[in-house]
Amino acid sequence: MTAPAVETKDLVKVFERGRRTIWQRLRREPDRRERFSAVDGIDLRVESGEIFGLLGPNGAGKTTTMKMLATLLIPTSGTIRVLGIDPLERPREVRARLGAMLSGERSLYWKLTGRENLEYFAALYHVPPKETNPRIAASLAAVKLSDRADDYVERYSTGMRQRLALARALLPDPQLVILDEPTVGLDPQASRDLRDRVRELRSQGRTVLLTTHYMEEADQLCDRVAIIDHGRIVALDTPAALKRTIRAEEIVRLDIGVAADGGRQVLERLSRVGTVARHERTNGTLAVTVHCASARDLVPAAFDAARAEGATVQHVEVVPVTLEDVFISLTGRQLRE
Amino acid sequence: MTRLEADLRAFAAAALKELRITRRYPAMYLGMIFWPVLLPAVWVLMAQAYSGGNDARAIAAFAARAGTSEIAGFVFVGFAMYMWLSTILWGPGTALRRDQMQGSLEATFLTPASRLVPLFAPPMAALPNILLTFGVMGIALWLLFGVVPAPDAAIRAGVITLLGLPAMYAIGTLFAAGVLRYGEIGPVVQIVRGTFVLACGITFPVAMLPAWAQFGAALLPPTYIVADIRAVLLRGFGLADVVGDVLITLGLTVVIAFLAVFLFRALETSARRTGMLSRF
Repeated sequence: MTAPAVETKDLVKVFERGRRTIWQRLRREPDRRERFSAVDGIDLRVESGEIFGLLGPNGAGKTTTMKMLATLLIPTSGTIRVLGIDPLERPREVRARLGAMLSGERSLYWKLTGRENLEYFAALYHVPPKETNPRIAASLAAVKLSDRADDYVERYSTGMRQRLALARALLPDPQLVILDEPTVGLDPQASRDLRDRVRELRSQGRTVLLTTHYMEEADQLCDRVAIIDHGRIVALDTPAALKRTIRAEEIVRLDIGVAADGGRQVLERLSRVGTVARHERTNGTLAVTVHCASARDLVPAAFDAARAEGATVQHVEVVPVTLEDVFISLTGRQLRE
Repeated sequence: MTRLEADLRAFAAAALKELRITRRYPAMYLGMIFWPVLLPAVWVLMAQAYSGGNDARAIAAFAARAGTSEIAGFVFVGFAMYMWLSTILWGPGTALRRDQMQGSLEATFLTPASRLVPLFAPPMAALPNILLTFGVMGIALWLLFGVVPAPDAAIRAGVITLLGLPAMYAIGTLFAAGVLRYGEIGPVVQIVRGTFVLACGITFPVAMLPAWAQFGAALLPPTYIVADIRAVLLRGFGLADVVGDVLITLGLTVVIAFLAVFLFRALETSARRTGMLSRF
């Protein structure tokens, strides 16, 4: 059995909100800053050669976890092993073996060409001189940027900059690549393109750990997904297994026009034929998500329920179970909230 | 490749990166020609006005305090040092701050390269520009005021400049450490730069300061560096004549360097605890 690429135990990161002035320190006033746990006891085991996703809303603790793995943040408590190495004790060894793309396009030098950026970072990654040019060429080819390598980065599209940041992460020829929200801000085509590149990394035998708040991305790309919320892992499994935890074959999303405080009876009647996973009232519209065995049975029942209360069904959507539904069932909230 | 070799290569790559970026803003070179001539020339003209148009008694009084009667040379050397000090003192901090603001600091800190690379390579890349500035000032001094330092004196001044580099970088590191923990520390640097101009005899002789301020000036390496460069350029001193000052400078360098390394490590650890590396 091979060692895991990443292993964390009871990982905690506590931040302080607000400031403690020098005057307060000098006067030895009690520290009244609010403390909050960005990461609150994460146990993670990422196996070699898999694409592992951390899925969660903004502020869930995904990036903080990644930064601790990448030696940029010191955990408050808990243990970390990256490729079998403790990043707290031997940070430089971890950095030498890790490819990381954390802050995307902003982390590049826009007044340099793509190739010049990679030349600079290759030296910082201690790539031997004889290997530098072949390594840069391979990295550029891997992200399909060879033909634009000598253009200034300021002339790149956002997607190309993201790909160049990925090329930089490949310079140390890493066994483990960590990607923080790699497709955020990209158009659908550029996102698909980047996901293809990530799949190729797995086919090359590398381990990929990525964060995302896009459920489709986690679903399509990852071998296993940890759903993270408020700094804790609330579920961890393959996307298919996670979706099976929803005891439903189909998901029905309904928009029902109701009176100001109406809709209670509708919800009550819907809960008899399915599981009301989520409901939200906005401007006279009750948005309901129902998990059910068959939409053929639920949809007529929904119309009957609405009619009985004098309400109107405005929109019906029947969709397959997604990781979003898993997240809703676990947290009662949508990923984008 | 040993770690030292790898870091030296990274250092050269980081300096090259800075040179490439600077080269892509050619208008900046105009400033390197304009200000080094205009600013000191204004001070020389003021000094000449205050001395009643180079009145012999006024010049003698100046020479008694400054050790030279060459007002233009005194001011130009002081300003050359001011520009050099500004670049070196704030260079490491500026480099870190710029990387922090544009978002590349974390990417740099993700690599196994020594922290000395992003700290010192960018200001090292400024050295050609500083040499250009010195050249422009030398030509201006010659064309406008007829002062031409002897070539061997210029070489001795260069040696003192090189010996003073570690002290300047050590002081610069102190500020750079502050960037890691506190982000914007420009106002503090301005205060310190102003203090150095006042205390280290940049535009007037240190002898003009009150006794307590002269004591403070004696603790600052730039005081010795500026005085020694003036001594070799304008008074014909040899290196042997200033060896005492050089030793004091090197001694202060050791103390400041230890303090800087300790502070940088402590504040980098603090930044990794608080997440300040990515905040600005």
